[in-house]
Amino acid sequence: MTPTEDGTRTIQVDTLARVEGEGALYLRIEQGQLADLAFRIFEPPRFFEAFLRGRHMGEAPDITARICGICPVAYQMSAVHAIEQACGVALGPELRALRRLLYCGEWIESHGLHVYMLHAPDFLGYAGAVEMARDHRGLVELGLKLKKAGNDIVTLLGGREIHPINVRLGGFYRIPETARFAELCEQLKWAREAAETTVRTVADFDFPDFEQDYEFVALSHPDEYPMNEGRIVSSRGLDIDVTQWPDWFEEEHVERSNALHCRRRDGGHYMVGPLARYALNHARLGERARAAAAAAGLEPVCRNPFRSIIVRAVEMVEACDEAIRILEDFTPPEQPFVEVPARAGTGHAATEAPRGLLYHRYVIDDEGLIQEAQIVPPTSQNQGQIEDDLRAFVAPRLALDDDTLQWQCEQSIRNYDPCISCATHFLRLDVERT
Amino acid sequence: MHEAGLMRGLMARIQAEAQRAGATEVRRVRVWLGALSQMTPGHFAEHFHQVAPGTLAEHAALDCDCSEDPFHPDAAEVRLVSIDVR
Repeated sequence: MTPTEDGTRTIQVDTLARVEGEGALYLRIEQGQLADLAFRIFEPPRFFEAFLRGRHMGEAPDITARICGICPVAYQMSAVHAIEQACGVALGPELRALRRLLYCGEWIESHGLHVYMLHAPDFLGYAGAVEMARDHRGLVELGLKLKKAGNDIVTLLGGREIHPINVRLGGFYRIPETARFAELCEQLKWAREAAETTVRTVADFDFPDFEQDYEFVALSHPDEYPMNEGRIVSSRGLDIDVTQWPDWFEEEHVERSNALHCRRRDGGHYMVGPLARYALNHARLGERARAAAAAAGLEPVCRNPFRSIIVRAVEMVEACDEAIRILEDFTPPEQPFVEVPARAGTGHAATEAPRGLLYHRYVIDDEGLIQEAQIVPPTSQNQGQIEDDLRAFVAPRLALDDDTLQWQCEQSIRNYDPCISCATHFLRLDVERT
Repeated sequence: MHEAGLMRGLMARIQAEAQRAGATEVRRVRVWLGALSQMTPGHFAEHFHQVAPGTLAEHAALDCDCSEDPFHPDAAEVRLVSIDVR
């Protein structure tokens, strides 16, 4: 460390900067029995609902897109649908199809990321995708290429792949050039086959023998596998309009976590996400996705959360298939957007983010200023169920050493693709054994 | 926000190294951004400048070396390479 003339010295540090864990799992084991379990999320509160207050409703799609870099489209879609509902505006079929195409892109990139980069390493015994790439380079390359196909849809329609900028109330700022559709269509035909290969690959993984009697909650649409529209239904008979979400569900603050937990007002925890969507909408899947699921041995209802990786792969087939159909049938809308005149009122929307139902509610005044915003992401809705799963999963495995227990618990949490799972080593495990 | 946690940890390390060397100022910070680290230099700089005020690195210049190799063993990581102190 020799100083330069002005006294500056260079210190070689060469160290990895790590996220030291934004989630922690606390287990207290008394005489071999599970006495207490708490899953904590430390991620700081984001205050997006407060940011939105006082802003013009037209800003909502751009502000909410910043909530997540992996699923910005979901936040944009729930926001625009809720505000359009408050203002009494509905879109024509052409713009509706483009929004669905954009959502397909997000499902492909998000599921591709989770299946290959986050979840597959758990099953194949690697700490992460980079370690997995040493022995399974082809798998990682396939995953990256699939993810890119999804990103390319989002870029085409959204203007860029992360935090898209082309979404606005009433539609889009501009309609993409159809000249690029044919090339994208070819890319998606490759992606569809790659997704079918993915279904076969992940179906061969070893899955723990673990099933739970979940209450599945998802959108359901009479004509299509749900993304942007539908009623909220559950496997225990709930069937409500999205405007009734607050009547049936509630958020509660749990002291140990910065994320709000959700529950049914008249019951317990529930599950949103691919397993729920699949179980409640199996009949709406296209032929190729249904065939891929059947060939993988997936029943129309799957209650093993570890097998959610297969369902995500099936949904990638569906999203590719649907995107191809939309591109091939595309009729350009007359205008890129319809006007959304401000009208005082309350609007609700729920759409299907890759991780599950995403509910938004906005109170708008007659100048279009947002007076109140409520955003309920799927990770909040699943958090209670994640803890329930962990209790049931951990109880018969308490004799495992702490490292093995941590590995299996991380895997159990990652079944839900929670936003915090982006960090490979995200979980701190505290075990108190007495 | 993983970036916030990552940056807090990184800044704590920079402070500790600078203090160990008896420095009063960090003049330059060099980092290596893995191809899969989900960080661009602009994104990294935004977060860095947000946590830097009040630290020895408050006025430090930032050098980001971006890797394009997704198969590098540390491709998903951000590496603090060196700091210039005075």
